[in-house]
Amino acid sequence: MNFRKTTPASKGQQRTPPVLINRFLEWYCRPELLDEIQGDAFELYYREVKDNRLKANLKFTWNVIRFFRWRNIRKQKPPGLNYSTAMLQNIFKVAVRNFFRQPGHSLLNVAGLTVSFLAAILIGLWVFHEKSFDRFHPDADRIFKVMSHVDANGSIETYAAARSNINLAAIPDVAAKAVVITGTRWPNELCFRPENQPNDCIYLFGIFSEPSFFSIFNFPILKGDTNPLANPTNIAISESMAATLFGDADPLGKIIKIDDHFAVTVASVFQDVPENSSLQFEFVVPTQVFARMRGLSDDYFSKEFQAVYFKTNTDISQGELTAKLNEPDILTEDLKQDKVSYSAFPLTETRLHSQFVNGKNTGGRIQYVNLFIMVAVLVVVMAVINFINLSTARATNRSKEIGIRKVTGAYRSSIILQFVGESLLVVILAIALALLFVQLLLPAFNNLIGESLSVKLFHPSVLAWIILFAFLVAMAAGLYPAWIMSAFQPSKVLKGQAVTATSGAQHLRKALLVVQVSISVGIIIFTGVLFEQLSFIREKNLGLDSKNILHVEPTYKMLQQYEAMKAELLTHPEIKSITATNADLVDLTIQTTGVSWPGMPAGMNAAFKVLGANYEVAETFGLELVEGRFLESRPADSVNTEVVVTESAISKMQLEDPVGTILKIGNSPCVIIGVVKDFHTSSLKQEQLPVIIYAHSILQCSRLYIKYQAGTTPQAMATIHEVYKKFEPAFTMKYDFVDEAFGKMYKTENTASIMLVFFTGIALLIAIIGVIGLATYNVLKRKKEIGIKRVFGATTLQILGNLWKEFVLLIAIASVITVPVTWYGSRQWLNEFAYRINMPEWIYVTTILSILGMTMLLIALQGLKTIRTNPTSVLQHE
Amino acid sequence: MKGTYIGELEELVLLTVGILYPDAYGVAVMDELDKQAGRSLNISAVHAVLSRLEEKGLLKSSMSAPTDERGGRRKRIFTLTASGKRTLEEAQALRTQMYNQIPRIALQFHQLTFTI
Repeated sequence: MNFRKTTPASKGQQRTPPVLINRFLEWYCRPELLDEIQGDAFELYYREVKDNRLKANLKFTWNVIRFFRWRNIRKQKPPGLNYSTAMLQNIFKVAVRNFFRQPGHSLLNVAGLTVSFLAAILIGLWVFHEKSFDRFHPDADRIFKVMSHVDANGSIETYAAARSNINLAAIPDVAAKAVVITGTRWPNELCFRPENQPNDCIYLFGIFSEPSFFSIFNFPILKGDTNPLANPTNIAISESMAATLFGDADPLGKIIKIDDHFAVTVASVFQDVPENSSLQFEFVVPTQVFARMRGLSDDYFSKEFQAVYFKTNTDISQGELTAKLNEPDILTEDLKQDKVSYSAFPLTETRLHSQFVNGKNTGGRIQYVNLFIMVAVLVVVMAVINFINLSTARATNRSKEIGIRKVTGAYRSSIILQFVGESLLVVILAIALALLFVQLLLPAFNNLIGESLSVKLFHPSVLAWIILFAFLVAMAAGLYPAWIMSAFQPSKVLKGQAVTATSGAQHLRKALLVVQVSISVGIIIFTGVLFEQLSFIREKNLGLDSKNILHVEPTYKMLQQYEAMKAELLTHPEIKSITATNADLVDLTIQTTGVSWPGMPAGMNAAFKVLGANYEVAETFGLELVEGRFLESRPADSVNTEVVVTESAISKMQLEDPVGTILKIGNSPCVIIGVVKDFHTSSLKQEQLPVIIYAHSILQCSRLYIKYQAGTTPQAMATIHEVYKKFEPAFTMKYDFVDEAFGKMYKTENTASIMLVFFTGIALLIAIIGVIGLATYNVLKRKKEIGIKRVFGATTLQILGNLWKEFVLLIAIASVITVPVTWYGSRQWLNEFAYRINMPEWIYVTTILSILGMTMLLIALQGLKTIRTNPTSVLQHE
Repeated sequence: MKGTYIGELEELVLLTVGILYPDAYGVAVMDELDKQAGRSLNISAVHAVLSRLEEKGLLKSSMSAPTDERGGRRKRIFTLTASGKRTLEEAQALRTQMYNQIPRIALQFHQLTFTI
């Protein structure tokens, strides 16, 4: 006889233990233990309750909690989870049939998910690639470089360099140090002649470094000397460089003449540098060669600022290293007087966190990485929302099936399993399709963003991630619809009563649509702002004319024959002018605080950019003269070097009558002979700095600029090539266009904008799918209503208006949410630029209006179909 | 031997079950422990020890008839098994044996310190 559910004896009738707690006990307790446990608990309760009811209740509760132990908890699984293979087969079969029964619906679902997965996978590949930079060094976390921060009157400039002879040995934690000289031009880009082809020239990039280079970094040496840089006449070359120069022959011991002059011996061959290395090079040459090539004494070289890398042998933190770098035995007195301070910067952050503003690290590329991670998550969320909306909207169609399943004994849990399983199938299908598309689109995508990403699909960890991802998305997308559908009452659905989706489900659908529209509107607006700013940059007046100018790398021989070459070039009508400088005009990095002028306040530390140039520079670049005259062609003044300065330089120096003023750059006296309008010498992210252009000996120039007639690019190129061959038959001309070089400064931004457009398209597509899905459902649901309205004489427009009302409201809510968020985000991004557009309000308005218009159009297309059908056929149904 | 080794609390519970024969069940054991040894345990802890001892084969149990005072629930009545009884005897013997090995001087130690 079982007494379990009987009430306690009469005397304690109103004194029963707390019902909920007791129910909890009955729920968790193993049935075979329940009697004794509950009995003991009750006994104690009745004993206690005579004195104090509250205390008894609390004690009872406490006991029940204490009894909640592993050995007392029921272990048996609920009966619904015993699945037979037959049932799983049936579920699978039904899933496949349903998929093909409503091809449109299924296609929308799969397409939405596929597109979003495609976007997520592409972004994922890119993000992994970006984050993998420099991680291939086994001790990547122990490699640092030294940064210098120079205080120039309040604004701090940061350089990835330190004095070459920096005494890092003073820090016991530093195991090794190496100067690494990188660059994109001579002397890092050199002409190499393949064996047996002495008149051919292959330009390759390399670096100069010190002996410990190969012990700090993990660039495995395949053949030859493991420490090639110890000998100042050695060179180490990459595998592919060896193949290019020497073919199948053994490269070791071969002599290479750098600049056709300095002979070095190939001592080692190293493995090609991986793409995800921030140091990219084909060869490594000892720094002594660098000093010789530039004609510097070793002593002079040791005082120059160069990139300095070092590796620690302890897990010392970045902060501690920075503190040690600024101790007096490393940061010498003269540097301190120049307001220089050092800091340590991890190698692994070079790629993504290399931006410094005013001495503080402000991130850099990582902002774009984070932006795209966000875009990927949002796009997947949007697709999942679509899936949920479409599934719940279509739930009615499956109600009879669910009813029958329940009547024949299905548990709710097995129905949930069925629907989650179905969504898992769809998700897997979508992932498979997405991977296929990734394979197809990857070359184009790589081309677009200028990277070379690849999918290592069969790598176990990649597979594991994909499976986990599929499972999570299927859960997120399938669980809610499964929950709703499994709750149908069989008695109702089988009698043919329409399943009215709960108001909760309807509210959820609307809320999800709002989220979706907010996301897509936000992404579109942000992309718009980005594009506006980038085109603003492209079209901004830089103060100099960078169009139709070719930059040519001269050889020393050409510089010696400069005048002759110039004369030769100018005989051709398409060549307008030619000049030479010692630095890149549109990305001028030579900057000095060593300028002094009459009346300069003591202790002032003003930064100027300086450019050494031949006299034609103003003509070639179209600089505008304000006062005085330009540089002229005549022998250099033996006393004072002539300089032309920009207006902002004059205002910085506060000179009343600038022309004729003598100023000093370092120790050299210079006389101002002219003032020109300001021009930009760097990316528009940075403030314009005052510029001083000084007359420079032609032999010390390193860049030729040739201006040609607009629209004659092919002829001009031919002419220039011809003249080049005439003066330098043994070299291949190296050149680029100045305006393109200027554009390259915004490479990250341009890549980002291209990717954003791509993903904006995807976001838009998914939003359209969402709207179509929901609109279809809405119209379907209101078929009879529309029929009745038509019978009572409503016009098409009135009915459409009725359908529109709801969506317009949702879009309005979405706009209210998304506008401030996007505004803030774009403001933050724009603040990166010293020269930026005002917030373009029109983009906000147009985007919202077009989304609104598009939605209304989609609804109208769906609605018109129903409105046009004869109302009798709609109403006659049943 | 593993399995016959028992802890101090287990030993106390075993003793209590013996004392309460033939009416040893959860609450009774808990009360007796409180009364005799001054140990106030939570009822769930007593249950845990009892079932552990049963698993070790030192106790056996059977369900009683339902009683009113427990809201109609039955009791699980525990009794010592033969091996339970033997374990108690062994523990007792071991203690006595070891106690007897203690040098008298050690037991008088505190007295010695007094007298010196």
